[in-house]
Amino acid sequence: MLALVGVLALVAAACGGDDEGGATGSTATGASGAQEITPGGTFKAALLSDVTAGFDPQKEYYAVAWAFYRCCLARTLLSYDPNDPDSTHLVPDLAAADPEISSDGLTWVFTIKDGVTFGPPYEDVEITAQDFIRAFEREGTPEVAAGYYFYYLDTASQGGIVGFSDFYNGKADSIEGLVAVDDKTLEVHLNRPAGDLGYRLAMPATAPIPEGASENHVDDYGRFLVSSGPYMFEGSEQITDETPAPGYQPGKSITLVRNPSWDASTDSIRKAYVDEIDVAIGGTAEDNQNKIDAGELDIEYDGIPPAEAIRRYTTDPELQDQIFVNSSDGVRFLWMNLAVPPFDDLAVRRAINYAIDRDGMRRLRGGETVGDIATHMIIPSLENDALGDYDPFPSPNHAGDIEAAKAEMANSKYDTDGDGVCDDPVCDNVLFVTDEASPYAEQAALVQDNLEPLGITLDIKAFERSTMYNKYFNPKEHVPFGGGAGWFKDYADAYSFVYPLFYGPNILDAGNTNYPMLGADPDQLRKYGYTQEFGVTEVPSIDDQAEECFALVDPGERTTCFAELDRILTEEIAAYVPFLFDNDVDTVSTRVQNYVYSGFDSLMALDQVALANGGA
Amino acid sequence: MGRYLIRRTLFLILVLFIVSVITFVVFVKLPAQDPAIRAAGRSPTPELIATIRAKFGLDRPLYVQFGRFARGIVPWPGVFLDEQVYFSYTNHVAVKEEIYSRVPVTATLALGAAVLWLAIGIPIGIVSAIKPRSIFDRGGMVFALIGVSAPVFWLGLLALYVFWYKLQWLPGSGIPPEENMIQAVMAGRFILPWFVLALSFAAFYSRMVRGNLIETMSEDYIRTARAKGISENRVIFKHGLRAALTPVVTMLGLDIGILLGGAVITETVFNLPGLGQYAVRSLLNSDFPAIMGVTIFAAFFICVANLFVDVAYAFLDPRVRYS
Repeated sequence: MLALVGVLALVAAACGGDDEGGATGSTATGASGAQEITPGGTFKAALLSDVTAGFDPQKEYYAVAWAFYRCCLARTLLSYDPNDPDSTHLVPDLAAADPEISSDGLTWVFTIKDGVTFGPPYEDVEITAQDFIRAFEREGTPEVAAGYYFYYLDTASQGGIVGFSDFYNGKADSIEGLVAVDDKTLEVHLNRPAGDLGYRLAMPATAPIPEGASENHVDDYGRFLVSSGPYMFEGSEQITDETPAPGYQPGKSITLVRNPSWDASTDSIRKAYVDEIDVAIGGTAEDNQNKIDAGELDIEYDGIPPAEAIRRYTTDPELQDQIFVNSSDGVRFLWMNLAVPPFDDLAVRRAINYAIDRDGMRRLRGGETVGDIATHMIIPSLENDALGDYDPFPSPNHAGDIEAAKAEMANSKYDTDGDGVCDDPVCDNVLFVTDEASPYAEQAALVQDNLEPLGITLDIKAFERSTMYNKYFNPKEHVPFGGGAGWFKDYADAYSFVYPLFYGPNILDAGNTNYPMLGADPDQLRKYGYTQEFGVTEVPSIDDQAEECFALVDPGERTTCFAELDRILTEEIAAYVPFLFDNDVDTVSTRVQNYVYSGFDSLMALDQVALANGGA
Repeated sequence: MGRYLIRRTLFLILVLFIVSVITFVVFVKLPAQDPAIRAAGRSPTPELIATIRAKFGLDRPLYVQFGRFARGIVPWPGVFLDEQVYFSYTNHVAVKEEIYSRVPVTATLALGAAVLWLAIGIPIGIVSAIKPRSIFDRGGMVFALIGVSAPVFWLGLLALYVFWYKLQWLPGSGIPPEENMIQAVMAGRFILPWFVLALSFAAFYSRMVRGNLIETMSEDYIRTARAKGISENRVIFKHGLRAALTPVVTMLGLDIGILLGGAVITETVFNLPGLGQYAVRSLLNSDFPAIMGVTIFAAFFICVANLFVDVAYAFLDPRVRYS
């Protein structure tokens, strides 16, 4: 069934891809079958929760918000065409063409399209190079508390925009590496080559901001957002310094209407078939699903449908063209802290990798529909699927191999008699921190069962999700074993996995996402108390390999390098037990046509969707 | 009476102060997440966290931090929930703006439900009291047990499933953004939430009225009234019910006050953008200014409702006088 719905999604994408001619006269396959697309109508969506930072493009670090920016509100120099089967392929958006890159890779020159203006109330203002610089400066202003400024820093270990770090640290009034040569030419200078720069320039925080729009809204630009896309918040023409657009009511609703400034001839990506997009915020997944069944709602845009609905839509032939399953480009995993015994021993970590029933973990989450079994950490799309059938810890049906696990454990310093069972007290009541919500608590119990034959017992502590992450994020908490984490790509390059998750210099006092302390140096181990409490003075590192990959510019070389890094990480360090490459599952109403999945944000593309008979 | 009202108003401020102290201490001592770290996003540098901490005023001594919030508890225009301090850490909207935009939803829900539960609960209570151990009384007991036992979230989902999804008699959850409150009420969007919320209260009120009325009807002055030849209906409704309703008014005031602070579950199930929904979201996001604001606002309603109840006593019960 997974294959079937996957095929349906591909068909929808492919048919959408045929439609290059504009908003009329094309055909599409979607929930309402293959038929002519008639533009128009109001698409009705629901969000269980609001976006996370009031729709501020510099602050939002959330896939749902990014989906709204990409489809509708914030065009960037480069972007992604959801109809392109290669979800990693960048295309010029506000740039007139691909950038000209200097031979040393240090200078990227963009020419900006002519005749593209902002939406109301700046409908007479043409987008210029300076508007992009303004967005970067806002991203680099600490008071804004931007969501991912770090992607642009020029540091010793990262190729970034020259002068961005100085600007961020208050040492410069402007970003030296961003030069508006003229209104339509933007030069970006790097401190060192960065093969993924294009992806970073396709992130919503880099979308242009007109002069005067954001200066008085350090905290709340989201409600005053000036659109550059095909839609805008309803009532945007009323925006003043004091009056936000009424089309975004935080926590309640989002209403997008057509942006009168948008000209389809300047935009080869977005079809913008529907006239309006109404989004209700709040409610419950069960109620939203009932509304989809009844045709009162077209999609629930965040979360996945209730398990009952997934079963019904995948088994009922009449509903099967209303469910779409796509990879959400994320991985779910267990992680072990390399600086806390018994996980300072590779043999223990490898034994655990053998012992875990990955299929059971997936079954507790919903079964095959929710994703493929993961056997390595970096998602396949970022490695061009270079690892293919790679499975360094094989077991029948991915259900765990306890004999192989015991054989590994027998090599451990914590198994003194070599019987494959840990006999050291460090294996007793190992703290396992996870989410209190389903299915994490049930998965914790399964992990406990899987590890018992190895002599490892768990002290399972389940917390509310944000509290759990608080503990994960703080290296001084010394969490030894975690079960509630997942990671989703920021953009289509493995850098967005490797740098935050596995890179030693990125271990932080707060907000640390390198949970296993991979690559921590002796100073860090002392600073966070591991040496004092556990006597651990060194941990494995992949920093050298990572830096080698970061510096590569050629896409092919880059993916090969990251795939090798992934192999080392999975097999030779084994600090993680990946178990699921996550899927996004959507059920849609019968009105929905031309369902196209956007690989950038892992959500349905609102700029491609249409309604049967134009929503009439 | 005037002096009494002034005293009670000052008492209200004292209560709000105590509530704000407790809320502040709970937040400071049991933070679900450091708001500065949360706002700083992923991979924050210590400098960024420090900048945000300063921006939120979290770098200042606790008494200074509390002082900023304490000023906002004075129920006076321009001071109450001051927008500079009571400003959401997460969605960057003034807490007052959020609260004021949500009060109509919560008030419509609470007051409409209150009318319903009184209209259902009091007659059932009276009939049960004047015909104890009859089939009406037993039926009332069954109703009360069901009403009190059925969880609101379950009842809400069930009501939506039956009356909206299956029968299509009533609208589903939520209020479309283009509808104002009057339009939403006229469209029947509150009928299911009113009934679901009212059911458990009606059950409780019917039992309370029954108990009070049975007790009152055995009082000496009731026997005297009957001995004087007054009709039974007049005895029940003029002499018995008036006294029996006094505790009901007390409860009604408190219940409405609490609900005006947010009918959390009902608003969540029916996706009504009221104060309860806002409170839940703020708690989940550890959004302290919003938590503080909504807590103070709820406490304010409870205090005011109590005040109304006490004043109403003077009219309901001739023995009560204020000076």
